[in-house]
Amino acid sequence: MLRRGLLVAAVLLAPLGARGQDRPVRWQRAGDATEIPITVFHSSQSANLPTAETLLQGEWQFEISHRFVPAVSDGVDALWGLDGPVNMRLGLAYAFHDRAMVMLQRSNLDDNLDLNIKVRMFEAGRESTPVMVAVVAGAAWNGDPPQPFEGSPRAWQYYAQLTANVMLGERFALGVVPTLLRNPLPDAAEVENAFSVGVMGQVYLSQHVSVLGEWNISEERTGLEYNAGTFGVELETGGHFFKLLLSNSVRPNPAQFVAGTPFPFEAGEWRFGFNVTRLLAF
Amino acid sequence: MNQIPSGEPTLPAGGTQRRPQQLHGAQDGAAPERWECGYPELNPLDGIDLTNNKNWIDTGVPGPLFLASFLLVSSPMGAFGQEFHVDRDADNEVRFISQAPIEEVVGVTDRIDGYILLNGPRLEAGSALEGTQLYLEVDLASLDTGLGLRNRHMRDNYLEVKEFPYAVFDATIDRVEAAACGVFRVAAQGGLNIHGVERAREILCDVSERGEGYWVQCAFDVLLSDFDIDIPKMMFLKLANEVRLKLNFAVQPAP
Repeated sequence: MLRRGLLVAAVLLAPLGARGQDRPVRWQRAGDATEIPITVFHSSQSANLPTAETLLQGEWQFEISHRFVPAVSDGVDALWGLDGPVNMRLGLAYAFHDRAMVMLQRSNLDDNLDLNIKVRMFEAGRESTPVMVAVVAGAAWNGDPPQPFEGSPRAWQYYAQLTANVMLGERFALGVVPTLLRNPLPDAAEVENAFSVGVMGQVYLSQHVSVLGEWNISEERTGLEYNAGTFGVELETGGHFFKLLLSNSVRPNPAQFVAGTPFPFEAGEWRFGFNVTRLLAF
Repeated sequence: MNQIPSGEPTLPAGGTQRRPQQLHGAQDGAAPERWECGYPELNPLDGIDLTNNKNWIDTGVPGPLFLASFLLVSSPMGAFGQEFHVDRDADNEVRFISQAPIEEVVGVTDRIDGYILLNGPRLEAGSALEGTQLYLEVDLASLDTGLGLRNRHMRDNYLEVKEFPYAVFDATIDRVEAAACGVFRVAAQGGLNIHGVERAREILCDVSERGEGYWVQCAFDVLLSDFDIDIPKMMFLKLANEVRLKLNFAVQPAP
């Protein structure tokens, strides 16, 4: 009797159970949702040092950057440095692959024309600690280099960089950038190889505002005795980055910046600068 | 029967009020269409004398109970409804368009999936609609606005796709009307879920034959504010609150 009752109940309840399923259909989701790309630094460069971030394939990036030569401490007479003169850089980057971009940039300091390529080699830690690594290789030609005391200037400079980035927590991006530079001083008596190590950090305060800092440790040499330090604020929109900076360096292009700066990192030597980049897709 | 508007499938934005459920095909004084089409709702206990042991069959189950169970499992939704799946190899496209004073922002993806469940083998004007289903989901992380930075902002700041990876429309087909050139105008009512917020919506689609399946084109507007999607002040000049969604996709009979 009990067996019969259970069987009756089973026959009666089975169809009700079938109807009670959320989706009594054969369809099943084909796969997981698209993976969200790993991001560490939002921009493809910090103030001066490259990050491991690259543009999306087909994107262009136009940049205009200024480094005002007078120090902020010169006060109102120099409009806190804004009267100039100014070292400026114009840059145009293009991503021919989601992992690779080329950038052409010109600085009016020594008429430095620079072409480099950045390749994002590696990223990991989507669910834990995001890390990203890229390499940069570039060549710069100085159209109007300083004249040496003896001989002719060497117009060409070459450099290679590794940039390793990590996101600590949800808001703090940290990066280290070792650089090998050939011919840091075009007017020096002999050709040198220079090695420097840059460290950069950025704290993302909100969706659009962050603060950043850089410190590039370089070998001391005549005319470029000091390490370059930079700090500032970055504002980002869906297509722009605006960086407002204070720095003891006024050397805009990579082969210029990593070689060092003639100014010590003291408040009286800080100069104002800015970077503006605009992403474009045609 | 309510007349479905002609022209491009479109509805006013918002639509947080769900219309009262209607009996499909009901005219003044006429029986609802679902009765005409012979799909009465079943009550498994109607007409069954549970004390009558004479009709038990070999399994020990009373005959009327077995019959009732059989009718339940072989109801139109379970046995007669044709199921169509989104053909993921077709040229599907989901497009959102945000008209703003300075710039039009467009996002595109082909990552739409889901199914349509009909009550009969094919879609027909005025066909029975009880138990039909339209389920669609869009993989939001795949939306491409043309700029990687903007994609990341959209994913992280607005849609928060890590937490809400899909936009889902789970509905029943409410009306089917024949339009010109073999196109059906279909209205579906259900819940549109974006960013973890569900709103009742009616969505209009034009459905045309495509091989053994159909080609479906839907268009409707949504208000970002309806779905608790923030629009930061810095972006006010870039994004409008009202966004038009266009869905073009193919479905084919379920394998």
